[in-house]
Amino acid sequence: MNKNLLWRSFAMLIVATFLVTACAPAATSTPAPTVAPTSAPAPTTAPTTAPTSAAAPTTAPTSGAAPTAAPTAAPTPTVAVAPTVAATGAASGTPITIGEILVGPHNDTGWSQATYEGLQYVQSKLPGTKLIYIDNAFNYQGTTPAQLAEQLLAQGANVIVFNSDSFMDDSNTFAAAHPTIPVIMLSGDQNWAEGQDYKNIPNMIDIMGQMEYMKEIAGCAAALTTQTGKIGFLGPLINPETRRLASSAFLGAEYCWTKVLNKNASDLSFDVTWIGNWFNVPGQTLDPTQVADQFFNSGHDVVISGIDTTEALQEAKKMTDNGMKVFAIPYDYHAACDVAPSVCLGVPYFNWGPALLTNIKAIQDGTWKPHFEWNPPDWAHFNNPDYGAVGFNEGPALTAANKATLDKFISDLAGGLDLWTGPITLQDGTVYVQAGVAATPQQIWYLPQLLKGMTGASK
Amino acid sequence: MLQKQTSRWVNLGFQFLAILVALAFTTLLLVLSGAPPIQAYKELILGAFGSIDNVSNVLIAWAPLLITTAGLLVTFAAGLWNIGIEGQITLGAIFTTWVLRSFENSSLSPTMIIILSIVAGMFGGMLWASLVGVLKTFGGVNEIFGGLGLNFIASTLVLYLIYGPWRRPGVASLSGTEIFPNRLWLPSISNLGISPWAFALGILGILIIYFFLRGTYIGLKLKAIGKNIRSAHTLGIPTWQYMMLSFMICGLFAGLTGALQVTNVYHRLLPYITSGYGFLGLLVAMLINYQAIWVAPITLFYVALNVGSVQLPIALKLDSNLSGVLQGFLVLFVLLMEGVRQKLTRKV
Amino acid sequence: MQVELHDIHKTFGPVYANKGLTLVVPSGMIQGILGENGAGKSTLMKILSGFIQADRGEIILNGKQVVIKSPADAIKHGIGMLHQDPLDFPPMQILDNFLIGHSGGIFPQKIKAKREFLNLAKEFGFSLDPNNYVDALTVGERQQLEIMRLLWLGVDVLILDEPTTGISAEQKKKLFETLRKLAAGGKTIIFVSHKLEDVGDLCARVAVLREGELVGSMEPPFDNEKLVEMMFGKVIVQPQLQTIKPGECVLEMRDVAIEDYRLKMSEINLEAYAGEVIGLAGMEGSGQSLFLKACAGLLRPVGGAVYVHNENMTGKVYRSFLQRGVAYLPASRLEEGLVPGLTLSEHFCLADGNTGFFIDRKQNLALTNTRIKDFNIHGLATTPVESLSGGNQQRALLALLKDKLSLILLEHPTRGLDIESAIYIWRKLKARCNDGTAIIFISSDLEEVLNYSDRILVFFSGRVSRPIRADKTNVEELGELIGGRGWTKLAT
Repeated sequence: MNKNLLWRSFAMLIVATFLVTACAPAATSTPAPTVAPTSAPAPTTAPTTAPTSAAAPTTAPTSGAAPTAAPTAAPTPTVAVAPTVAATGAASGTPITIGEILVGPHNDTGWSQATYEGLQYVQSKLPGTKLIYIDNAFNYQGTTPAQLAEQLLAQGANVIVFNSDSFMDDSNTFAAAHPTIPVIMLSGDQNWAEGQDYKNIPNMIDIMGQMEYMKEIAGCAAALTTQTGKIGFLGPLINPETRRLASSAFLGAEYCWTKVLNKNASDLSFDVTWIGNWFNVPGQTLDPTQVADQFFNSGHDVVISGIDTTEALQEAKKMTDNGMKVFAIPYDYHAACDVAPSVCLGVPYFNWGPALLTNIKAIQDGTWKPHFEWNPPDWAHFNNPDYGAVGFNEGPALTAANKATLDKFISDLAGGLDLWTGPITLQDGTVYVQAGVAATPQQIWYLPQLLKGMTGASK
Repeated sequence: MLQKQTSRWVNLGFQFLAILVALAFTTLLLVLSGAPPIQAYKELILGAFGSIDNVSNVLIAWAPLLITTAGLLVTFAAGLWNIGIEGQITLGAIFTTWVLRSFENSSLSPTMIIILSIVAGMFGGMLWASLVGVLKTFGGVNEIFGGLGLNFIASTLVLYLIYGPWRRPGVASLSGTEIFPNRLWLPSISNLGISPWAFALGILGILIIYFFLRGTYIGLKLKAIGKNIRSAHTLGIPTWQYMMLSFMICGLFAGLTGALQVTNVYHRLLPYITSGYGFLGLLVAMLINYQAIWVAPITLFYVALNVGSVQLPIALKLDSNLSGVLQGFLVLFVLLMEGVRQKLTRKV
Repeated sequence: MQVELHDIHKTFGPVYANKGLTLVVPSGMIQGILGENGAGKSTLMKILSGFIQADRGEIILNGKQVVIKSPADAIKHGIGMLHQDPLDFPPMQILDNFLIGHSGGIFPQKIKAKREFLNLAKEFGFSLDPNNYVDALTVGERQQLEIMRLLWLGVDVLILDEPTTGISAEQKKKLFETLRKLAAGGKTIIFVSHKLEDVGDLCARVAVLREGELVGSMEPPFDNEKLVEMMFGKVIVQPQLQTIKPGECVLEMRDVAIEDYRLKMSEINLEAYAGEVIGLAGMEGSGQSLFLKACAGLLRPVGGAVYVHNENMTGKVYRSFLQRGVAYLPASRLEEGLVPGLTLSEHFCLADGNTGFFIDRKQNLALTNTRIKDFNIHGLATTPVESLSGGNQQRALLALLKDKLSLILLEHPTRGLDIESAIYIWRKLKARCNDGTAIIFISSDLEEVLNYSDRILVFFSGRVSRPIRADKTNVEELGELIGGRGWTKLAT
């Protein structure tokens, strides 16, 4: 009895401290650090306070309803971590040196280049900022990415950016070993208080863009273009991120196939092949060149790429030169179509610049906080490099009619069309989202399977 | 006696010359690629020893290379080319991962699990090495070809495990298995990755090999086999049994390397879990002419080059493989100088 | 072509291989050259065929002095040599092999070559298929191929080094026929052999070499006894007579058959008794090494049984023999007996039969120093064996033997040693015999065989004589036997 009372009052006390610290202007409050590791009841408080205190849903995909929402409205999980801002690595006003660890080459016309140019954008907007990097991080045998980041520190870096999901473990290790260095993890979810892998890392910022919309546009472009009704999706490895992006492309394709073209859903096939990693690693992954060829040779006339590099586009070009009429949609980088414009239907890309600029600025000012952000497109300034986290550049291979249809689809999305609304059925037939209900951000982020209507491995 | 002394100095002189020539060639390469050589070397050294972090990273990589090279000395002593060392490291890593996974949620204490996993890793390496020995002894397959084949099988196996049965829940990626919780990491010094245990194992490994080759009957017999297998046979040494034994000892060490890669460096299974230490170890062993006394300093030098060379792309936009070029040049020129020395001294 | 060799000198280190040799062979002659192993025959022929150069002396062909720098040079001058082991390139087709060494531009004219090949084969009655592979041929057929190749290259002088080793009687007959035909056609043939029989059958003249010098020449009819005397020198030392103490039977060979790729031996029977010395005589390659290896368990007999101390050891490995007190000392000390790179003390350590794990350095050093002193080895415990002299290496090998042995098998125990070392070694070996060890040894030195053996086995191309008592024979009889003569008399 006594014990119970003790627990209760203790819990009350904690909630009170949380409230105080949440409202107080950070930095000074002492209780928080002691609370997090020791108090047993803390976990119970987190879920209850989270939905109320964090205005998370505003930035989730469903926020398409509010197209003008600026990307800065970050869903900061202020609950647990607020006071521990430990940005001594970049005390207010000191010049920033950004050290980036890239999974691929910095000029891959794909994922890595997009992140690298995002940081170059920051450099151009924040004079005096230095940028150093190590690309192809997995080519350094015997050296872990966390150790590579330490080499960047040795060269004066005071902010570290890990650019890939592949660095999830290493960014955790590094952040723990260097608590004074702000770490930005692109595509990470370790600091998403409402996420499944919440690790509450006091010196980490997770940034991701809501690519789902752009993948829907890509899927629509593919559906509008395909003559055979067979779309191939060249997938990287299988994880929640790749499942949701492949599925978004499918949702877009299915929508335009049935609702715009008024065709029969069963006449559309959407086939996913995973190569096993973000890019070709000879001897380990499937060769994306061969996978693309197989798609084209088995009747698929549009291949949507989900990998970091542009093999699908190159193969489509090769096939077209040999007399086939096939197309591809690359990924990640705004100018990826330039590799083979004649077969490119468009590219869904990341525009990392604005979000990175906001965060680096905050780090420089000393006002930054560890958090997770999942940034929407800026429909009002669509494809403007100064706005929005994602975009879609239409490709030269899109016919004029299809372009018009696609533009209409884009404006529908901007106007609030949400394809992640039920009914959504998983590949194994279970209903994931009930009819008429919008999927939660967590449901989208942690999609457990591909969707019904797609073929390909889910796990 | 006097003659012996002078020839030792001549030897050292030639080796020194080899290092100079290797440095000169690397410098030339640097100049040709438009980089300031002095600064490049400075960055290399700073990258390896410029900060506590870097020194720690050098030491982390040192332990596995040290152990691998120590193990290779045993097969080299018996005149065997254990090219299969990479596969043996891989199997060590697989066995270690297997034990860690199996007991991760058991009631065993983490210390116990780690010890068990390392022992299992050593066993795995030994098993794979004895396969090379069996192929050689009973199948007449040269250890180089047998080793290459088994390397290939091992790397296929590791890919299968990572992409198949051991993948992360809900994920199928070739980038590695799920990271083990902290308690299953080899205990390390606070924020540095270096574990005193790994360090101690490395030092212990080379000491054991040093005394094994120098002071035991088995070591001497292996040397006799390596230098002249027919005479060894005539002297009554059971040659194939001892060759088998040397493979198994080397496999134990390779397995330990794999275990350390998992428990101390990566904390999970990766496709390239060996970090190429097997082949690097072969290179180092050749460079030091199979003398145990040189293993520790030269492996340290090599991992320092490896770690320090990361600075080249950062600071000078150079290819980090340049350190590999220097490593290769060193071996090449030391061997070349050895040939030149033999030719010259024989004439005299 | 007339071949003249004048005052040829050649030394290998301190050893004189050729000591002012002069020999004139007129064209169209079959000249035999006889001599013991190491008499300098091969050296002389290698000089003539360009494999090595003489230190001094001249070669005159058809009255013109020439310098021969290489085998290719020799062929240009019309001299071709057929080696004991025909030099060939096994995985090749016969025709390709035939074309080797032919200077016919980059692209050999295969069709023409094939026609000429077939013509030559027909002329000599050789049945060789040009499309067959060389490794499918017997030694005799390889010889035929090599002769054809050399003739096709246009040689006028054909040198044959021990050509009758390893070929069948039929092939030998054909070879001799061919050689006679070639001589009749004006070619000069130089036939090197240690077989009196062959030389007697074929040659029009025989020159005998001993210790690098020409000791005599003879034309038919040949007096074999005289030839043997010339080959081995006149001095005949009576062996020290030693009665066989009938000890225990340590080794018994019962109807043993052994073979390798060139020799086949069967129905070998021998009983060796404790304290006895058995010498194996014969020209090298006549089967005595195989026999010795079979005694040691290093070669598995294809038939019969081997007993050590009445225990059947047939098919057991060398180590089992070793464990039962059988030791083997090979002829090539650094290839099969000692381990180059290891020191003397390391050798004693290895041979010590130790059982521990760590080496007891102190004890090992003490043992090594004792042995070095006992066996008069000129070296230190830390001396690597390869830097010891031959005599010291041999003494070291003896010193490595275990204290208690039943049987010691030796190949050429004193080859290459100075007299003093040889005597020392035999003193040590005889001391072993007194302790009840049996000794079987191979030697090409007939005097050594006669001097130290109680009984002698003679080997001649795979045939083994019955044991001959050393006190009932002499150098001449043995010389005839190892040359293949007098076997019918022996059998009775």
